[in-house]
Amino acid sequence: MDDFQAGEETSFVVDEVSNIIKEAIESAIGGNVYQHNKVNQWTTSVVEQSLSQLTKLGKPFKYIGTCTVRWENKTMYCIVSAFGLAI
Amino acid sequence: MKGRRLLSNYEGLPPIKEECCDDSSETTAEVKYLNTNRLEPCNKFQDCLIRDKAQAILTNKLQHAKYDAASSPSLCASISEEILTAAKEMGFDRYKYMVTVLIVEKAGQAVNVVSRWVWDVQRDTWISAKYETDTFIALALIMACYYD
Repeated sequence: MDDFQAGEETSFVVDEVSNIIKEAIESAIGGNVYQHNKVNQWTTSVVEQSLSQLTKLGKPFKYIGTCTVRWENKTMYCIVSAFGLAI
Repeated sequence: MKGRRLLSNYEGLPPIKEECCDDSSETTAEVKYLNTNRLEPCNKFQDCLIRDKAQAILTNKLQHAKYDAASSPSLCASISEEILTAAKEMGFDRYKYMVTVLIVEKAGQAVNVVSRWVWDVQRDTWISAKYETDTFIALALIMACYYD
């Protein structure tokens, strides 16, 4: 399976991916306080949105996205990790 | 043509040394491996084995542990190292692994963990192992992705 590298290097650009994830979180959760019935919806939409934006970049990577939400009274911490595995 | 990705060869055939000219018209000897033409791994990933192993590692390390904000980060790191080494030792070939270990204190809070992936459904998989004590919950997620 020979792979000839195109003119452009396809690499995982951390800043670009960070921005995509931040936008996904902000658009899904924004400044909302924690609402128990909505949290499932929020987490799935954050991950799905960031994954779809990442795949739109068109790079030859497999992606895995994980969102961990920790909540306590009305405050929420949201940790999103995205992994890109080169094919 | 700058740079060719080399194939690793499991059949043990010797690599071929090729003379090739690059753009600056200098001859360089390049090592090229033969195609194995194998699309599937020889030793396919068996999730039940890894799940048992991960569960055993969690139980071993966390049996007598109490949640402690200072020592938990290093505990997390050491558990994930151990799980990763164990996964690699199992010897499933052509797999990349990713191990995530989460330790959450039981202090009136709740945690939700969601994962999504874009991968090869037929060959990539994931397993999770959980361990619970009075003071904390530990969750280990292991993803195995096929790579050739």
